[in-house]
Amino acid sequence: MRLLTAVLRTIRNSRRLASGLAILAVMVLLALFSPLIVKLIGGGKDPIEVAAYEKWLVPGPGHVLGTDQFGRDVLAMVVKALSVSLQIGAIAGVISTVVGVIVAFVAGYKGGWIDGILSTFTGILLVIPTFPLLIALSAYAKNVSLFQVGVMISIFSWPFAAKTIRSQVLSLRTRPYVDLARVSKARDLEIIVTELLPNLLPFIGVGFASSALGAIFGLVGLEVIGLGPGGVIDLGQIIFNAITTGALTLGAWPMFVVPIVLLTLLFAALNMVNIGLEEVYNPRLRGVAGE
Amino acid sequence: MTAEAPPVVAVDKSQDSAPRSGVRAWLSRHPLAAYSIRRLGLYLVELWGALTITFFFFRLMPGDPIQTLIQTLQQNYIYNAQASAELIARYQQEFGLTGNLFSQYLKYMEKLVLHGDMGPSLINYPTPAQTVILRSLPWTIGLLGLSAVLAWILGVVIGAIAGWRRGKLGSRIATNLSIALSHVPYFFVALILVYIFAYSMGMLPARSAYDSRIDPGISLAFIGSVLKYGLLPGLSIVLIGTFSWILSTRMLMVPILGEDYLVYAEAKGLKGWRILTRYALRNCYLPQITAFGISLGFIFNGNVLVEQLFNYPGLGTTLVTAIQQLDFNTILGVTNIAIFSVLTAVLLLDLLLPLLDPRVKYWK
Repeated sequence: MRLLTAVLRTIRNSRRLASGLAILAVMVLLALFSPLIVKLIGGGKDPIEVAAYEKWLVPGPGHVLGTDQFGRDVLAMVVKALSVSLQIGAIAGVISTVVGVIVAFVAGYKGGWIDGILSTFTGILLVIPTFPLLIALSAYAKNVSLFQVGVMISIFSWPFAAKTIRSQVLSLRTRPYVDLARVSKARDLEIIVTELLPNLLPFIGVGFASSALGAIFGLVGLEVIGLGPGGVIDLGQIIFNAITTGALTLGAWPMFVVPIVLLTLLFAALNMVNIGLEEVYNPRLRGVAGE
Repeated sequence: MTAEAPPVVAVDKSQDSAPRSGVRAWLSRHPLAAYSIRRLGLYLVELWGALTITFFFFRLMPGDPIQTLIQTLQQNYIYNAQASAELIARYQQEFGLTGNLFSQYLKYMEKLVLHGDMGPSLINYPTPAQTVILRSLPWTIGLLGLSAVLAWILGVVIGAIAGWRRGKLGSRIATNLSIALSHVPYFFVALILVYIFAYSMGMLPARSAYDSRIDPGISLAFIGSVLKYGLLPGLSIVLIGTFSWILSTRMLMVPILGEDYLVYAEAKGLKGWRILTRYALRNCYLPQITAFGISLGFIFNGNVLVEQLFNYPGLGTTLVTAIQQLDFNTILGVTNIAIFSVLTAVLLLDLLLPLLDPRVKYWK
């Protein structure tokens, strides 16, 4: 309960964090209710089914965003695709944050040669351009599921989380209260869980937001060159369809403008949460990024 | 993108003891040299590590490129009969696929390091992969390099002014726009620009790097055509890049504004513009130079899609084609070049920065 009020107070004090979270909340709600919304648009039949309507209908009262090359309702597709994009962000965000936190704590808390090896390894992974490897992975792994793509993307995105969190662990572990805990013979794991972890939550949040952002873009990138998981429609695939079917020349602008606007809004919201969290927990930055 | 803290080199404990003869004593008398040697060592370890990881990554991928090639040849009726075992063996020899994985690795590294040879490219056999890459490299360097540098300059200048005049309307608009747009993929902007300028208005070309009716060469018509065709992809990189540099420069700038020496400069009666350029900006652009080196790799990531969209004959397009055809040597070559350029850029900046900024000290 005390934690909840503290969280609420933090959100109220930062306009940026609040608006970022609000946009995210709306999108998550939209994603959660997407089956219902899709059903509502279809009015009895599945609007995403091939040849549900006529091909290439212009936006109008029946179809707010028109239909695509297979006669599917674009609005219904976009709503469903948004939920897929959010899912991939959540999957990859959770995996890479967990791995990043573990690596960061082992490296930062243990120090010495373990830290040396882990940090060098993280540094090496950071300079490898990940997109080529990702393209390669998905080109060979045909018919992958959404979860598998999430795992693939996390392989390359945990180093970012590990790096930011490690530097915080390094500065925290020499604080007096950690020394005090150590003197009072608390075990390492106990110190990490009770003393360090709560103070690092904002940085873990930042790591999660960045990983989720990277993952969503990663999947969009894969879809755009035609290498996504099979059987699911995400926002990137709608963009890919728009490019390959000539929607640009046909003037079917909703097919690529709407996904791009939605994704841009999502990126902006995640970025606002990122900067908002950093400001809240690093008072020196407050007012630095704006206001 | 924030500036990465340079590695802090541990102080050599033997320094405290009495001076000894030999290398150690010399090194302790020449801290800059000692630092440079350590930094160079780290560079070599990182370079080796990254090249090794990518090599094994691609070799452990399922898929047999030689079989695929022979199948393609058969489909094209170049070979009517089954490919002979001899032919397959010949190709495997050529592509360095004989022996176990470890000996393949040693052979690959030996050829790469000693001869700069990346092996033959599969799609353009028997042209070596490095030749294929060198053909597309100028396009990428021209497009990417120019737009990345332009974005950096614009971002640092606008970011510094936005920090300097914070609270003003223009500054707030710039800041909030940057927060909203700094993480948007280049590709999105590129797509919107293509739709507006190429398809709706028909003003600019949407594909390729130059007018195919003009012969490539150093002529005014050709250069003009290259600039015209590069305008849209370049603009999309510059736009988004500028926003992200505005954000990070502003974040570096604002804490400096409260510093005593700026108050002092103001008290001396110096003009605002002079304080900004001579006193404040200096403290922002140096860390941003390092950040620029690090960002090169990430620009490459996003650039693959932009090149793909515009069908631009750069490294990104080469890479995607190579991956589709399982052309291992070319894929490895492209990633290796990206790794090499990022690491080398960061190394050079780390070595040069102590000369530019007297406060940067990695040694004791």
